[in-house]
Amino acid sequence: MNSSIDVVKAEGRRPTESYERGKLHASVLAACLSVRSPEGEAEMTAHKVCERVEQWLAAKPEVTSNDLRRKASESLDIHHPEAGYLYKHHRVVM
Amino acid sequence: MFNSFAIIIFAALIHASFQLSVSMLTLLSGHAIGSKAAHGRLLKLTNGFFFGVAVMTMLLLSFTALVFQHAFGAHIPLVAWAISCGLLLGLGVAVWAFYYRREEGTSLWLPRGMARYLSDRTKATKQTAEAFGLGLSSVIAELIFIIAPIIISALVLIKLEPLWQLAGILAYTLVSLLSLAIVNGLIGSGHKLSRIQKWREQNKRFLQFAAGSGLLILGFYVYVDQVVSTTAFAYGGL
Repeated sequence: MNSSIDVVKAEGRRPTESYERGKLHASVLAACLSVRSPEGEAEMTAHKVCERVEQWLAAKPEVTSNDLRRKASESLDIHHPEAGYLYKHHRVVM
Repeated sequence: MFNSFAIIIFAALIHASFQLSVSMLTLLSGHAIGSKAAHGRLLKLTNGFFFGVAVMTMLLLSFTALVFQHAFGAHIPLVAWAISCGLLLGLGVAVWAFYYRREEGTSLWLPRGMARYLSDRTKATKQTAEAFGLGLSSVIAELIFIIAPIIISALVLIKLEPLWQLAGILAYTLVSLLSLAIVNGLIGSGHKLSRIQKWREQNKRFLQFAAGSGLLILGFYVYVDQVVSTTAFAYGGL
């Protein structure tokens, strides 16, 4: 996979960052744990989601944070629908 | 007496149907569970938030009643009732029209900058005292809608005996916390946040309709009870 993918944050209103697997993994893990998924299962799900997202990222020089989140959410919906729901709706709770 | 308490309880039920505190509690517990906080820690945070909301609601109602007591004494002018009823009716229509945004999820009327700020503060909350402060501020943030039931309850309260005023304040606070207490109980007993959030999303239009209708019904009832009936008696006695 391309090692330097730029992530355009908040439609360009915040500085662009390099893609970090750790950040994506942590956010998916938190969503899984939020729906009381056991830690081992949550880790495994986060790993699968990261793999799937990175397949999609391959050969892309730049993505937006919204696209990254949408793709992760689609993948999480497959592996853990309840966590996927929370991940997708996290920003529209309030 | 029964009439006064019925108005206070109904106003408190309308207050309970507003959702900002519930949204913030959902976010707060989601972040706490997601960051592997122990169950005891989670309970401290959610209970801290809950008590913050309770204290601010009680303070707000007491303060409003105190202001009215000083301004009007025991004789509330009809115009004060009429203005309060107008506020209830106006806010009832506003709740129908604006309370939830027309998008998926449970996005509220809040300006997006303010919602982001509250969301970020909720995410950063790690201490019980912070959660308590967050509870206090969640009531202030929703003041624009809860002010109407609080004003009506305060006007009704100042006509009661001091002991009954305390009972009224306590009753209002307890009833207005019902929805938050239910969500707090569900989170504390291990229910999944996704189910709670899904229920909220599926029923948001009903909650919106109920809150708006409740404000309209209360406004109409209080207007007839306090303004029309008083005017009719006054003319009848001439």
